Amino acid sequence: MTAYLLNLATLATIFGILAASLNVLIGYAGIFSVAHAVFFGVGAYAGAQVALNLVPDVLLASLAGGLLSGLLSLCLALPALRVRGEYFVAASLGLQMLVVTVFSEAHSLTGGHGGLVGIPPASLLGIDVSSPWHFLAVCVGALALSLVWIAILMRGGFGRGLMAIRDSESAAEALGKNVPALKTIAVAIGCSLAGVAGTLFAFQLAFINVESFTLEQSVLLMAMVIIGGAGTLLGPLVGTLLLLLLPAALSFIPFIPATEIGTVQQLVYGLAMTLLMIFRPAGLAAPSTGRR
Amino acid sequence: MPGSLLSVRGLSKEFGGVKAIQSVDMDLVEGVVTALVGPNGAGKTTLFNLICGHISPDAGEVQLAGRPIRGERPHTIARLGIARSFQDLRLFGRMSVRDNVLSALEPTAWLWQPGGRRAARARLHKTEAALERTGLSALAGARAVDLSYAETKFLSLARILVTEARIWLLDEPASGLDPVSRARFVALLKEAVAAGVTVCLIEHNLDIVTELADRIAFLDRGRKLAEGEPAAILRDPELIAIYFGEPRR
Repeated sequence: MTAYLLNLATLATIFGILAASLNVLIGYAGIFSVAHAVFFGVGAYAGAQVALNLVPDVLLASLAGGLLSGLLSLCLALPALRVRGEYFVAASLGLQMLVVTVFSEAHSLTGGHGGLVGIPPASLLGIDVSSPWHFLAVCVGALALSLVWIAILMRGGFGRGLMAIRDSESAAEALGKNVPALKTIAVAIGCSLAGVAGTLFAFQLAFINVESFTLEQSVLLMAMVIIGGAGTLLGPLVGTLLLLLLPAALSFIPFIPATEIGTVQQLVYGLAMTLLMIFRPAGLAAPSTGRR
Repeated sequence: MPGSLLSVRGLSKEFGGVKAIQSVDMDLVEGVVTALVGPNGAGKTTLFNLICGHISPDAGEVQLAGRPIRGERPHTIARLGIARSFQDLRLFGRMSVRDNVLSALEPTAWLWQPGGRRAARARLHKTEAALERTGLSALAGARAVDLSYAETKFLSLARILVTEARIWLLDEPASGLDPVSRARFVALLKEAVAAGVTVCLIEHNLDIVTELADRIAFLDRGRKLAEGEPAAILRDPELIAIYFGEPRR
């Protein structure tokens, strides 16, 4: 039971980083990407390859995963600079589908549908951190650092620039904001953090394949951010806990037959999301009151 | 034209066969308030968009103090000293009033603004001064989306005021204001002009135009029909007939 809960807590922490990274795009910069799982995947594959072929150091692998995801995020930044709103959603959808196909077919890098197996236990600067408790501590540390990094950035002029673009791109430009540069940097930051989360995910599961990086995953991530509260620091964490832990919690309710848990989960999800969007459209963690 | 800070020559723009701006010439002279007047659809806002780089012209030139700026990106033009407001204001609704103004002082896209803490304090000081002048100090922490109509108008002005731009292009800045707020608004504009700001405003309220403007440029269907002293333009029966939508010959 403890092992199960530790695994759940570690996954929640990793998805917390992932949701927080998507929040940089959606919540602060107003870039509605449905391709975030792609960068999660790039980080996971890159980190796994470092661990498999070089050294299973979680710091080194995370740096590699984050760096590669950040660099490849330029593929997302380019359409983000040219199209807005629903057109960008369509463009990112195309990227998501394209890259998933690459993940499935690039056997030498990703293992294809079979994935990469036997990812070695994690170490950190030579110290073994592969035990569940140790790896949870590493993930919590990574989450804390990610949140502090995002908080510092968003409290300053860079964050204000992004939020200005989110609220009115033309007005931001008219006030001297270099919109293409700000968007590119925001996408690079968000996607590199997603890459770090991907590397941690690879170490946690010791096995990764394309099924974890599909459009469904991207949509789930978007739901985590929006339900929790886009543009708030803690909102994505709240959304992550709700959407990740709710299914687990439902399985503990005694009077639901094991065969019906999936159906009940869908019903609860649907109802919860509808009610949330009616009563808390800005998300659970968003401030609910205005001046009048 | 002598003293011209912004010069527009032969500016033209067509949208799918509709001639929005047709070979317009205009000069904004330093310290002079020019009003763009004309019926809806005359091309006034399009002219602003062309000057500020939000739309690319099909033909013509725009020069700022002798430097060609046609084809420059809007943020570059803004940094050269042209600030503009929008008819629909386009405030940063989810940001606080203070952050709306402060962000106008942070044009760089780097992760940190240059100048360190001292520069940050100076920016904050300028922001508070702009809020004080526009009467928004008490609302500095409120979200822009929660402001009243008049307050949003003043916030839009505060964002421009704080930039210390040499040229202000204001699109219906005082429309819909009550008489007291309007008087306060006009007084603020007069203060800025007295301090050397060059203003070009689009305005349908002819009382404000006569009170503020030194010159009027009259636009209709993308063409500049006349330019001159307000008294002369507003006495022209043909222009007045166009403005009030009377049947044209």
